[in-house]
Amino acid sequence: MQRTYIAILSAAALSMLIVTGCGKQSASSQTIDAARLRMFKPLPEVLPVKAGGPEAERVALGRMLYYDTRLSKSQTISCNNCHKLDAYGVDNLPTSVGFKQQHGDRNSPTVYNAAAHFVQFWDGRAKDVEEQAKGPMMNPVEMAMASDKQVAAVLKSMPEYVDAFKKSFPDQKDPVTLDNAGNAIGTFERKLLTPARWDKFLKGDAAALTAQEKAGFNVFYETGCETCHAGALLGANLYQKLGNVKPYPDTTDPGRFKVTKEDGDTMIFKVPSLRNVAKTAPYFHNGKVATLEDAIAQMADYQLGKKLTTEEIASIATYLQSLTGEIPAEYIKPPALPPSTPKTPKPEA
Amino acid sequence: MLRKLISYFVLLAVVVIIVMQFFPPERTNPPVNPASTFVAVAQPPREVASVVGRACRDCHTHETVWPAYSRVWPASWLVAKDVREGRAKLNFSEWRGLTPEMTKLRMTEVCSEVTKGAMPPAYYRPMHPEARLQIEDVRALCAWPTDQP
Repeated sequence: MQRTYIAILSAAALSMLIVTGCGKQSASSQTIDAARLRMFKPLPEVLPVKAGGPEAERVALGRMLYYDTRLSKSQTISCNNCHKLDAYGVDNLPTSVGFKQQHGDRNSPTVYNAAAHFVQFWDGRAKDVEEQAKGPMMNPVEMAMASDKQVAAVLKSMPEYVDAFKKSFPDQKDPVTLDNAGNAIGTFERKLLTPARWDKFLKGDAAALTAQEKAGFNVFYETGCETCHAGALLGANLYQKLGNVKPYPDTTDPGRFKVTKEDGDTMIFKVPSLRNVAKTAPYFHNGKVATLEDAIAQMADYQLGKKLTTEEIASIATYLQSLTGEIPAEYIKPPALPPSTPKTPKPEA
Repeated sequence: MLRKLISYFVLLAVVVIIVMQFFPPERTNPPVNPASTFVAVAQPPREVASVVGRACRDCHTHETVWPAYSRVWPASWLVAKDVREGRAKLNFSEWRGLTPEMTKLRMTEVCSEVTKGAMPPAYYRPMHPEARLQIEDVRALCAWPTDQP
């Protein structure tokens, strides 16, 4: 008889183990454990600017350059074409359209909060926004300028720009350069920050998030998203392999391998920040994922090996809405641009 | 009657266990790049490296020591699942590309998991005495790194 008991008990114990091991977690709580919040920080209120001349002058110059289409070969494309400041810093296209209607090979990331990223571009090939800003001007499929001299020639043809560069970089003899244009644009971009309800919540306002958003955060956390999407930006502070658990099917773009040529960097990308993610569709480096829900489902699957339910996906998407911040409407107003002169080069089709 | 029922049950269990042996889960240790590990990239103090090596290694690195019971179903499936999920969530063999800030954030989570006793899991500890954390082990994990933002 004793043996029977032992057999029954063992069977029961085994079933318990299987049930607890395989069982789904119960519905997430609408209160957030303070320990979980230690992985997150509010967005900084200001970011330090790089060395240069007076900050206000550089910001004003950077704003003009950001909106000036004459910095492209066709004189139809500015930074704002692909990184629209009134649309959360993106164009909502899978890949942006550049010179002669050519498409870039990666999705244009948002410029908002980008200055706080640990590196720039999907593959980290620029160290900061000042360096990044120069890239698209020279990229043959984007703004397609021939050289830094051509950029300088355009700017030097307009006395107002020459004056603005002198005021922004008063210590330099010949301040109208591509490097200084990058510096000014970067200085402007360092103030493109979008504090959100999430920040108010982190600073102690418990009512800043709805009950559904709090429950969504718990699903986000329990799924393991915070393994890569943590800190002040919920990302943008590490590289990670796309297809961490399950190989990502589209391997046409090897990611950081293009920069380092090291095998270990194949399919490695910068983990993007989740700030304003609800507004920056489509998703992933290739822009092939149209909806936030699909992006959540695919990330859980490829990165964490988890198949989320429709409810879990919707709940995480609800939480991510709390990361949509305020656009600084006054700061991003398009400025008056210096008029062209007879010396200004003509557009090339 | 009861005795007969139990014999059938035991017989069925034995058959299931034997059949399931033919469907082993994946139990692999992918190659480790020594330059990509937590120890190489984050350069933790010796105590931290030691605790991670003892208590987290089996599920959170590519250097799993697969126990003998992991060859027998259903333990094989449960162990493989834990290792698969553990590596997906936090993998000390794949630390390349993490900023010091991210190391600190992940260690913050490690600290909170070990402090509340959630990790290493209670069912893992009886068979792995080396993974039973002492108070000084927990302190070491929680005390580092302090110099990051």
